Amino acid sequence: MDYRNKPELAERLAGEYVLGTLRGPARARFRRWMAQDGAVALAVHEWEARLSPLADAVAPQRPPGRVWNAIESRLGERRRRGFFWQGLAWLASGAAAAMLAMAFLLPALKPAPAAYVALLTDPKTQRAVLYVSADRKGTALRVKALDPSIRVADASLELWALPRGGKPRSLGLVPGERGVLPLAAVADEALGDVPMLAVSLEPKGGSPTGAPTGPVLYSGPCVKDW
Amino acid sequence: MASRAEEALTSASGRPASPDPLVGLLGDCGRGDRDAFERLYRASSAKLYGVAVRILRREDWAEEVLQDCYVSIWTHAPEYRPGLAAPMTWMTSIVRNRCLDWLRRPRPEVPDEDGSATEQAESADAGPLALLESSTEAGALARCLATLEARQRQAIALAFYDGLSHSELAHHLRQPLGTVKTWVRRGLLRLKDCLGLPQ
Repeated sequence: MDYRNKPELAERLAGEYVLGTLRGPARARFRRWMAQDGAVALAVHEWEARLSPLADAVAPQRPPGRVWNAIESRLGERRRRGFFWQGLAWLASGAAAAMLAMAFLLPALKPAPAAYVALLTDPKTQRAVLYVSADRKGTALRVKALDPSIRVADASLELWALPRGGKPRSLGLVPGERGVLPLAAVADEALGDVPMLAVSLEPKGGSPTGAPTGPVLYSGPCVKDW
Repeated sequence: MASRAEEALTSASGRPASPDPLVGLLGDCGRGDRDAFERLYRASSAKLYGVAVRILRREDWAEEVLQDCYVSIWTHAPEYRPGLAAPMTWMTSIVRNRCLDWLRRPRPEVPDEDGSATEQAESADAGPLALLESSTEAGALARCLATLEARQRQAIALAFYDGLSHSELAHHLRQPLGTVKTWVRRGLLRLKDCLGLPQ
């Protein structure tokens, strides 16, 4: 089933997902949809805020002491396992983490009309570092650094669109803490087939070849928020 | 919406509510502070365990779920964004999701052979929901629930508190599946209209 562009269906299923009546394969399908579509993640986030006060009515019950002991020993084990496994786990959870962060960031943009939004994360720290958005019919790409420390001296950070099955297209240089980059066409054309954005480290002024030459520092999914 | 929430919060204490201390604890957890994590556990585990026991109806399962959830809370604490979701909302969602996933596994026993869940269903209106009205933070939700038809309210309470799926609801309420689905759908729509957007 094609779920895209079905806001009413998304809204209804989000409510049933949070309430808990959506179960089995339908629940798993909905979760996959949520992971791919920031607007759906946002609808779930809103339903959680609406319904969570219901939990206030459940009588608290102190868990047995062994529960905390078990948690402590699991976290202890994790530490001893060392950085390699920890790194691997972080990498695997990267996409999920980005979507989760996006679900928390999107409400601030709610009044904005249909837009492309992307949240780029640093795979080393799993922190969101760059927020990029463009109105569907607009030609301005808004770029906001969420972590001001990403600036580099004597080099440039170049933003790339990674189109489905095509070569990376430069979107311009990351403009400091906050700025706007002009798109070559309206966002629907420039970003319609772009599931991912990335930032590479380039010589000052940008890549001399028109393709990324340095290491990719940040990346994240680019989703349609409508 | 904001004024109603403010009114509810200020009427309880006579002054504006102080910031939720769990926000600071979660922030410290995100920076790897294990002591803060222990304080967070002490402050929140009774409530979350209560939610898990209620849905799973087995304390041994609820213990296992609670363990998994706190490990997950620790791991994901760096992604928590204060102000965009209340800490208890964020943590309760993690616990409820894990409980519902747990219930997806084949269950060794047939639920409600003796009709106890149906009894619970019938008492659900008087139980948790009545308590809800006395909780100031949930006051708006309780008022909105009161505007629902009784059967819509009952279906929503059973689904939320006891983790019943659409087909389990149909079985327990002795109604066709399509009917209970409609109750849930209409009940949720009505709640959403009544509550407006969460702040």
